[in-house]
Amino acid sequence: MRRSKLNLKNLLIYFSYGIIIICFGGALIAVLSLSLKTPAQIFSYPPKLIPNPIAWANYLKVFQQSKMPIFLYNSIKIVFFTTLGVLLVSITAAYGFSRFDFKQKRVASFGILAFQMISPLIVVIPLYRYFNQLNLINSHFATILTLIAIQIPFTTWLLKGFFDSIPREIDDYARIDGCSRFQTLIRIILPLSAPGIAAAVIFNSLQSWGNFIIPFVLLEDTNLYPVSVGIYQFQTVQEEITTHLLAAGSIISIAPVVLIFIFLQRYIVNLLIQGSVKG
Amino acid sequence: MTRKKKFISEAENSIIWWFLPVVILLTFFYLYPLFEVFRLSFTNTSFIEPEYSYTIRSYIRIFTSSSFYFTLKITVIYVAACIVGQLGIGQAIALLLDQGEKRRLRGTVLTRTIVLMGWVMPGVVTGIIWNMFLSSSPYGFVNYIIRSLGFKPISFLHSSIFSLVTIIIANIWRGTAFSMILQYAGLKQIPQQLYEAAKVDGASSLQQYFYITLPQLRNVIFINLVLITVGTFNTFEMILSLTGGGPGISTEVLALRIYSAAFKSFDLSGGAGYAVILFAINLIMALTYFRLISKED
Repeated sequence: MRRSKLNLKNLLIYFSYGIIIICFGGALIAVLSLSLKTPAQIFSYPPKLIPNPIAWANYLKVFQQSKMPIFLYNSIKIVFFTTLGVLLVSITAAYGFSRFDFKQKRVASFGILAFQMISPLIVVIPLYRYFNQLNLINSHFATILTLIAIQIPFTTWLLKGFFDSIPREIDDYARIDGCSRFQTLIRIILPLSAPGIAAAVIFNSLQSWGNFIIPFVLLEDTNLYPVSVGIYQFQTVQEEITTHLLAAGSIISIAPVVLIFIFLQRYIVNLLIQGSVKG
Repeated sequence: MTRKKKFISEAENSIIWWFLPVVILLTFFYLYPLFEVFRLSFTNTSFIEPEYSYTIRSYIRIFTSSSFYFTLKITVIYVAACIVGQLGIGQAIALLLDQGEKRRLRGTVLTRTIVLMGWVMPGVVTGIIWNMFLSSSPYGFVNYIIRSLGFKPISFLHSSIFSLVTIIIANIWRGTAFSMILQYAGLKQIPQQLYEAAKVDGASSLQQYFYITLPQLRNVIFINLVLITVGTFNTFEMILSLTGGGPGISTEVLALRIYSAAFKSFDLSGGAGYAVILFAINLIMALTYFRLISKED
């Protein structure tokens, strides 16, 4: 059995896997290595992949000497409230699309997806202008509301697909048993679309963790920055001599999403497939 | 039934209430700002001087400046190169993973995970990581390898030609995952009987690829094409942290131009003008996408 697996074609595939892993994993490994070096090791040539000794203290330094803990706290707060808000709004809209029949339903449901293709960069200029007038610059509240608006379209579309797969007869039975529409949604439709809700939570968390342009423009006080903006600010003020700390900061800022991703890979892959091929 | 209950039951049967939150949010945070961006692009306003009047001067300025055509040129080169790279490499990896899975080879999931890692990371961090990876300093690994092979180190970030190559490579690294996963999903939907029948007829694997795989993937490839195009046009933070649009303006693509006009030069109307141009591109892509997925239904 084992020997038959070692034919030429399999070897070729293994060889290609190796190349793919080097090409796609190389940058990450290099940064990981950089994040564990002392300043002297950074500038010694040739660069070593595994530093000796390993400077674990870099990570401690980032936590103690930079605003990383504040950035992390802000990110978690933004991610939590954005995801919650997106879910509340998208669930009702997805229910509307799935359970009501109305004219132009098709146009409306395509229309909502069109928002997803419009870069937030386009609306950020007027948003900055009127939040400035309303004194809402440096407000997490305004930032979160904007992020919710940006992430609604995809989530609505995603949940609509899950709701559609639950037959409407189930609603009718619930109605006969005396459930209102709202009760049917809470007690029957939502539990049945638990995988969809979970997918929406994962997707929205990843997206709001990574969103840059909205907090970048709407927040000016460093103490309010999420990780994405914080790490960029870190980059702009750093010098060559602190490259190892920037590397450690980068690793810290991707660690949560990378870990979530590794654990929930299958889910996310299915989500990607559903979101785009099936429309 | 109490009055309150009756009100709720009437409300929940009326469609308006279900859509009200979405409509309010999208109107305030998307539709109204879109309208505003159009309006601002026809004014001479700036962040410094809030007083303004209506004019088309910002568009005249955009279309008569040579740097705008330079921006367009590099944006098109950047987008085209990324499309080719992401579609091609994405398909190659999808085919490999599909084969590997059929042959139950080890490392298939590991390879897939590593490719997808670039997609899941925040774009701004991707830029920072590649900036260090391609650096000309002693810690730049890529230049270390280039030197070890006996070549001269390449200034990936400070030469105008190579910096364009740099943003293309980094974006392909980031975007290939998505293209790969869509095509991988597409491959799984091809009926196996087609291949079995082809084998019976004595078709070579190359013939199977050109006469079965490629035609069956057609829709997925087109959808991919649209999504990659729109995503690449909208790349902002990755380039910002990777090259900052430089050296000079050699990697300042349209999306970065919006930002630098509005928030660095404080030229609000100019920035709005660029934003309208990007909006037109986004809209065309969205319409193409709908036509494609409507066909699928």
